[in-house]
Amino acid sequence: MRVEYINPFVEAAFNILKEVVDSDIKRGELYLKSTSQPVLGVAAIVGLAGDVEGRVLFDMNADTALGIASKMNGEDLTEFDDLAKATITELANMITAQAVTKLHELGFTFDLTPPAIFTGENMEVSDSGVEALIVPIELSYGKMEINVAVRER
Amino acid sequence: MKNKQDFPNINERKPEGQKPDGSNYRVLIVDDSMFVTKQISQILTSEGFDVVGTASDGQEGYEMYKEQYPNVDLVTMDITMPRMDGVTALEKIIEFDKDAKIIMISALGKQDLVKKSLLIGAKNYIVKPLDRAKVLERILMSIK
Repeated sequence: MRVEYINPFVEAAFNILKEVVDSDIKRGELYLKSTSQPVLGVAAIVGLAGDVEGRVLFDMNADTALGIASKMNGEDLTEFDDLAKATITELANMITAQAVTKLHELGFTFDLTPPAIFTGENMEVSDSGVEALIVPIELSYGKMEINVAVRER
Repeated sequence: MKNKQDFPNINERKPEGQKPDGSNYRVLIVDDSMFVTKQISQILTSEGFDVVGTASDGQEGYEMYKEQYPNVDLVTMDITMPRMDGVTALEKIIEFDKDAKIIMISALGKQDLVKKSLLIGAKNYIVKPLDRAKVLERILMSIK
């Protein structure tokens, strides 16, 4: 997978998370995975279709998602309800929009699906024929993994 | 001895959401995200604006505007929504009321749709993420 696809997502995630969630964030070591990967519990997925196709997953555990949603709403949310889901969806939306703007500037044209949220235990994601690159991000609320699996068409 | 009430409050300021006649500006929020609706609503009500309705798609927003006309001073309109998008709803509202004040709420990367909206008659736009200062500045520019 070309790094040109990944960097805009990492940069956008950093910018947006810093602005709306937590100024003290750190990036972990990125790694590649080619087989099925477990999903942490709450995952927002955005699909890409065009010159570049695939998906980006914003993956975190339920406590981290709740912490992020609480911070973004300025109040303590105690359960992962519709408002919390809408908040994580909006976060994924903002990060993806910024990344895609950068990719469009680099000359790639493609469309996006609106983010969808999956929640549950023991979930896995598999992508046939494309490796996933995972960028772990450490926030004070826990870990978020940006899991990007895209290829050129 | 003089007490607090005897001195004028020199720091007192009128909330931004108040019209010169003392009544509040009335805002309709059209957005499919519960989070964004809540965010805009909190910012506006804290400044004295009245949120007179919230709609979760363009069709509902257009219908609400017609129902409440002429008692809406400003509409905040998301661009990407199910059923009817914000640009179509803007077009329909402007067709119904050419003086409608509508401000578009956009994610980054929708410049073409923002330009189109401004040509149709939107007064201004705000790019997400939303922050209080940015929202109030753009709304006040559009409303006053």
